[in-house]
Amino acid sequence: MNSAILTENLTRRFGKTIAVDSINLAVPEGTIYALVGANGAGKTTLIKTLMNIFSPSAGRAQVLGACSLRLSGRAFTRIGYVSENQEMPDWMTVRAMLDYFRGFYPTWDRDLEAQLVRQFDLPLKRKLKHLSRGMKMKAAFASSLAYRPSLIVLDEPFSGLDPLVRDELIEGLIERAPETTIFLSSHDLAEIESFSSHVGYLEQGRLLFSEEMAVLTERFREVTITLRAPAPLPANLPAAWLQPQTVDCVLRFVHSSYNGEPSEAELRAVFPTATDIRLDAMPLRSIFLAIAKSGRNHAPSAPGQTPRGNEA
Amino acid sequence: MKQILHIFLKDARRFWPEILVSLAVLTAFIRIYPHTWLDADRMEAEVSGFSRVFGGGAMGFLAGTLVVLVPITWWVLISRVIHAERLVGNTQFWLTRPYEWKKLLAAKFIFLAAFLFLPFFIAQSLLLVEAGFNPFHYLPGLLCNLACAAVTIVLPLVALSALTSSFPKLTLVILGIILFIAGVAALEAWLQSDSIGSVSGPFGDYISFLVILCGLGAAIVLQYATRKTLISWLPLISTAVLLSALALLDPDQALMNHTYPRPTAGVAAPLQIAYNADPIHQPPAFGPKQEKDLDITIPLRESNVADGYAVVSDAFQVTIEGPDGSRWQSPWQATDIQRFLPGSNPFNIGFRIRRAVYDKFKSVPVKLHIAFALTPARAGAAITVPVPAGDFSVPGFGVCSPQGAWFGDPRAISQISCRSALRQPPLTFATVLWTQESCPASGPAPLPDEPASTGVLGAAWAGTLDNDPAEFGITSVWQTYLPFTNRAVNFRPGPTLAPNLICLGSPLTVTQYHAVARTQADLDIPGFHLPPIAKEGAYALSIETR
Repeated sequence: MNSAILTENLTRRFGKTIAVDSINLAVPEGTIYALVGANGAGKTTLIKTLMNIFSPSAGRAQVLGACSLRLSGRAFTRIGYVSENQEMPDWMTVRAMLDYFRGFYPTWDRDLEAQLVRQFDLPLKRKLKHLSRGMKMKAAFASSLAYRPSLIVLDEPFSGLDPLVRDELIEGLIERAPETTIFLSSHDLAEIESFSSHVGYLEQGRLLFSEEMAVLTERFREVTITLRAPAPLPANLPAAWLQPQTVDCVLRFVHSSYNGEPSEAELRAVFPTATDIRLDAMPLRSIFLAIAKSGRNHAPSAPGQTPRGNEA
Repeated sequence: MKQILHIFLKDARRFWPEILVSLAVLTAFIRIYPHTWLDADRMEAEVSGFSRVFGGGAMGFLAGTLVVLVPITWWVLISRVIHAERLVGNTQFWLTRPYEWKKLLAAKFIFLAAFLFLPFFIAQSLLLVEAGFNPFHYLPGLLCNLACAAVTIVLPLVALSALTSSFPKLTLVILGIILFIAGVAALEAWLQSDSIGSVSGPFGDYISFLVILCGLGAAIVLQYATRKTLISWLPLISTAVLLSALALLDPDQALMNHTYPRPTAGVAAPLQIAYNADPIHQPPAFGPKQEKDLDITIPLRESNVADGYAVVSDAFQVTIEGPDGSRWQSPWQATDIQRFLPGSNPFNIGFRIRRAVYDKFKSVPVKLHIAFALTPARAGAAITVPVPAGDFSVPGFGVCSPQGAWFGDPRAISQISCRSALRQPPLTFATVLWTQESCPASGPAPLPDEPASTGVLGAAWAGTLDNDPAEFGITSVWQTYLPFTNRAVNFRPGPTLAPNLICLGSPLTVTQYHAVARTQADLDIPGFHLPPIAKEGAYALSIETR
């Protein structure tokens, strides 16, 4: 599968601060890729570097097959970009903005524009500066979807929006999903979990992992082992067992490399006196919390994958 | 082209209030500025600087204000249109839209062409029409003035707008630049304290023009192409450094022997200059600036200008050689525009010397060597016209207006002011006969066959030998007051003291001069003693003896 976005040791520094640190990322075409991470993790910097708003300090990136440094002018007829902190031509009405942007895109679909206006219930005669945050974001979405871009890049698109608006925007996105690649960032796992096909986790500028959502949720298990008698935490536990802790006879940890029967066999081998071994699937939020809390220095990875900079 | 027009139309729709204000100010300027031509008799100085802008009473003040307001409206307009797609920052909507930088830059240029350059060009043409000139005859000058406005006002504002994110930041940067220029000027004055006026030459004019054009153009293109603001500041800073260096080092000094070649052996100098040793003409040295520097005036006399010629003294350089071989040389410095006709006339030159140098040479006889940079000019045909009651055209010079007498005598004229297109007129010598009596009650007298032999002769120089098609100005019409000598006071016997007057029909004779070559002339004054320093409060009285 071709990659809509491909980076190789992509690095962006601001003075001595490394905002994006040697990121290797591949976003397959046709996927919905969610880049998650706490505030200040480097998501916006990574996206702006991909969009050629910032130049890379090292490494390189390709977007839709073109070097990100050459991303300008006509290349943006295939890319839709919406950001929470993007300045819009606030002095324009919604209609004037759509009319203005229409002139830049040969593939602008007026029927789709009308549909998006109806779907988002946009007030065409109102100036952007008089719109609410949610409405402004919907106008930005409409102006970035109406030309059917091959790649939609969204930087914290749902941040601060009420659930109704968020659902409307997600619905609008999902309708476009079959014909495009969507790359979005968010610090809220719940809002992307329901529709993302791939996920990457960024922390302090480093990509801790990047993989398909189904694979990720499949390889993480919350493990609860009941022992016959209280025992200290064994030494030299595998690195993929995160946050191990014992309470009386119960040992709990997060298995980040679960692969079915071989993993269960390994558990039985390590804890031969266990009376019960329970493996529970984890929601995405719990997975990320476990990763975030597990020392933050090593990256849990699926078997066969490098610790960071994985390809999905 | 479609994208260029698309952006241009968007800007035109958005900034119509700013455009309207700019056009309104320009229209007001076109309407009001011609009124100052009627009030020229209130101007006391020849065309230059402040008096030219603010002379002429209330209308003059209003016109002067509008001259300042026009570039201010440009400042606002340029800032607004460039900052509409600002290049500094990373959150602008247009960064991720299919804008192509060349087309964006072209759209901004078309906007400025449509709403700044074109109205300015039309305004200049309309002013020419109002002043009695056909603008089609002055197209090179109009275009030259437009280019000057573009390079000296518009280009810097576009460059600074491209490198700043908002109007307030642009304003702060401009204030910073003004401070920088003031600093460089102060440094220049300090470094060149032994020079009264700098000479003009290619580095002062054309090279600086090219430096500004290239430096600012590079900054604009670089910023639009890369949006790397820090890097784009480099050409701008380099331009400022280069211009400062040109101002401080004054490389035109080194080119004076090229611009004004040394006289070749056997070729007569265009005039003779001698030291005027008459004791009555020996002014003292004056000490400005707490006597760190002294101004010394040397009385001279010129003669032997050939018939049919005038000689203009553009600059001079003084060298003092002591008996022990020690030497001091001033930089070339502009004279106070001395123009010499056939005959013999006294004149002075003044130069500045550091106190320490003065102290070194004051008590010993020195050899004073003065080199003059001269431009001989050949006289054209003299044209004599009777002074009419209204505007009259003087071919090759401009349109002149007689100004009413001080005491309201409708038959009498107190002075003549002339308008020229886009620049000062060619160097012209004008004479007129002042009357010491009342003007006749009848209409204009016929032009006499012979030159009038009664009355007091008034003579005036006006204009310049430069032949550039235009001198930069917001206005396209330059006003020149003919400063006739012997105008102010009539010493005729009687109970009242009255000014001399020009009567209607009185002959006005103008002779234009055209430069033929440039050269130097030398004067050596052996055994010269530097004059003593004047006591505090002393002043010099110079008497015009033409």
